[in-house]
Amino acid sequence: MTQDMWGQVRDILKGVVGANNYTNWIEPIEFGSISGGVATFFVPTNFIGNYVAQHYGDQIMYHLNRLGASVQRLSFAIAANAQRAMAPVARPSEPHDSGFPDPAAHIDPRFTFDSFVVGKPNELAHAAARRVAEGGPVSFNPLFLYGGVGLGKTHLMHAIAHELRARQPHLNVLYLSAEQFMYRFITALRDRKMMDFKQMFRAVDVLMVDDVQFIAGKDSTQDEFFHTFNALVDQHKQIIISADRAPGEIKDLEERIKSRLQCGLVVDLHPTDYELRLGVLQAKVEMYRGQYPGLSLRDGVLEFLAHRLSTNVRVLEGALTRLFAFASLVGREITLELTQDCLADILRASDRKITVEEIQRKVSDHYNIRLSDLIGPKRVRTLARPRQIAMYLAKSMTNRSLPEIGRRFGGRDHTTVMHGVRRIEELRATDSQISDDLELLRRALEA
Amino acid sequence: MPHQLSFDLPVQVALGEGDFFVAPANAQAYAMVTQGHWPEGKLALIGPPGSGKSHLGRVWADRQSARIRAAAALDPEAPLPPAGARLVIEDVEHLAPAAEEYVFHLHNHLRATGGRLLLTADRAPSRWPIRLPDLASRMQATSIAMLDDPDDRLLAALLMKLFADRQLAAPPDLIDWLALRIERSHRAAAQAVAALDAAALSLGRNLSVRLARDVLDKTRPPAP
Repeated sequence: MTQDMWGQVRDILKGVVGANNYTNWIEPIEFGSISGGVATFFVPTNFIGNYVAQHYGDQIMYHLNRLGASVQRLSFAIAANAQRAMAPVARPSEPHDSGFPDPAAHIDPRFTFDSFVVGKPNELAHAAARRVAEGGPVSFNPLFLYGGVGLGKTHLMHAIAHELRARQPHLNVLYLSAEQFMYRFITALRDRKMMDFKQMFRAVDVLMVDDVQFIAGKDSTQDEFFHTFNALVDQHKQIIISADRAPGEIKDLEERIKSRLQCGLVVDLHPTDYELRLGVLQAKVEMYRGQYPGLSLRDGVLEFLAHRLSTNVRVLEGALTRLFAFASLVGREITLELTQDCLADILRASDRKITVEEIQRKVSDHYNIRLSDLIGPKRVRTLARPRQIAMYLAKSMTNRSLPEIGRRFGGRDHTTVMHGVRRIEELRATDSQISDDLELLRRALEA
Repeated sequence: MPHQLSFDLPVQVALGEGDFFVAPANAQAYAMVTQGHWPEGKLALIGPPGSGKSHLGRVWADRQSARIRAAAALDPEAPLPPAGARLVIEDVEHLAPAAEEYVFHLHNHLRATGGRLLLTADRAPSRWPIRLPDLASRMQATSIAMLDDPDDRLLAALLMKLFADRQLAAPPDLIDWLALRIERSHRAAAQAVAALDAAALSLGRNLSVRLARDVLDKTRPPAP
């Protein structure tokens, strides 16, 4: 019965405090219980609670008592989080989130040869990596992979590690980034454990150092790297190195290291072409099928992305990841429109703010009327409707205030703008022509 | 009559979880930050100044016991956090070039060890002025949660919160009056509240629609 009573109080308050205040402050409140003279309400945030208590507390108490409840005090509590958040989303399964005992030895389980998409730009690097991963007599030492960011250097190195571990589990394979090499070296120096450091590195069978350009310019680290390198080569142990450019072009790298790095096989990963990018996207989508069941993807989206995002694979994959995460959050099919909305920041060259003037121009073009008529004083229907549409778009697509919009429409009052906006909001729901026009104009303005 | 001096003292901003107002304009970002799955364990929270990035970051950090660091104050020589750490880096657009390599290693370290990284900034990662290409591509591949300009509901709530942060009780009709007349942005709301606070104090008047009419008509920026 108390819920009913709260319903009645709400109805009374609606008349008393005005529609706006009602939506802002009363509607968000949920009734909890009345006990011991205390009425408890749930509110979405603390300050709504405080505000309501200050401004409407007396009224709420008065009406509750008038309806027969015995309330001396109001209490406001934060609603449970579950109620505040959006509708529950289908949560994709977490691939892996556990800690790894030794970060340096961490090999990403997703980076295998199977998941590496081969195309013309990377087929040589792929073949060389395969060859090394198959083991056997060391044919080229070191294998030096280089290429711009996000072209698959790290992926190939992890894939080699996987393959070696599967084929020859007895081998001691060590993969680490240049930064981790440096960190271990410095720690060993500090803790006076250089002997351990040397022994550990010289006991590996396959050493992989990723992004070697980061040790350039760091003299004692370079020195130690050089010695480790030589010791391993002398023992015919395989070394695999990656960098963002060819050995000879790494700045601040000692000459003797450069020449050492060049004496094996140096292969580069070329920038991707359209076919390879499309292949990468298709492979990635297959991977996501398991993670995001129930998501559907329209034809043409992958082609669009492969065509538009040509910089590097990491950005391309990141875009697809974002797209899937977003679509699963809002629970919608992945269409070209959704893609353009979700990835606007990387698809467009700049973030431009839409202005009221642009909206006015577009709307007058669309309805084939003069701009001066759109802004001017005439009130015939053929002008008034487009004017209201322009006002609606100005309100929803810019952050201008109502008085400001009014000024830009020939000095109209803000209540006129408000009326226009409301009118279009109503029509939009009932008139499909208007809602189509709005959609068309919005797209044209955002393009 | 001498004017009462008013000082621009920092206000006591409420940043608890219960102070974050969820409305359609920020519901998606809220859901993504607090309960969404972060691809690769990282997320960029993007929004204009004052839109609640830090607030939302704090809400997440409190839940996850994450540390919060300002990008501009990152020390390139600092040791990397422990494996699997949770970290917030605020205002990445102010990241110093000297710290880019550090963030690169930090990013790889957190990713490899199952950590979480929340980055906040006023623009999307593709617009961050990062010179190190290795870092730039990793940042661009980050998923984004966007805090946009407030909708009308949120604007009213925001005004109320801004007054509350200054210990001011604004009458309901003032909130309505302001929400209809100021620019629909976080910055405009903050400016309006600051101007009203200063005026109420120096003129010795109560907060009211009349005061707002007197004050804001004067401070309104000329139409560009």
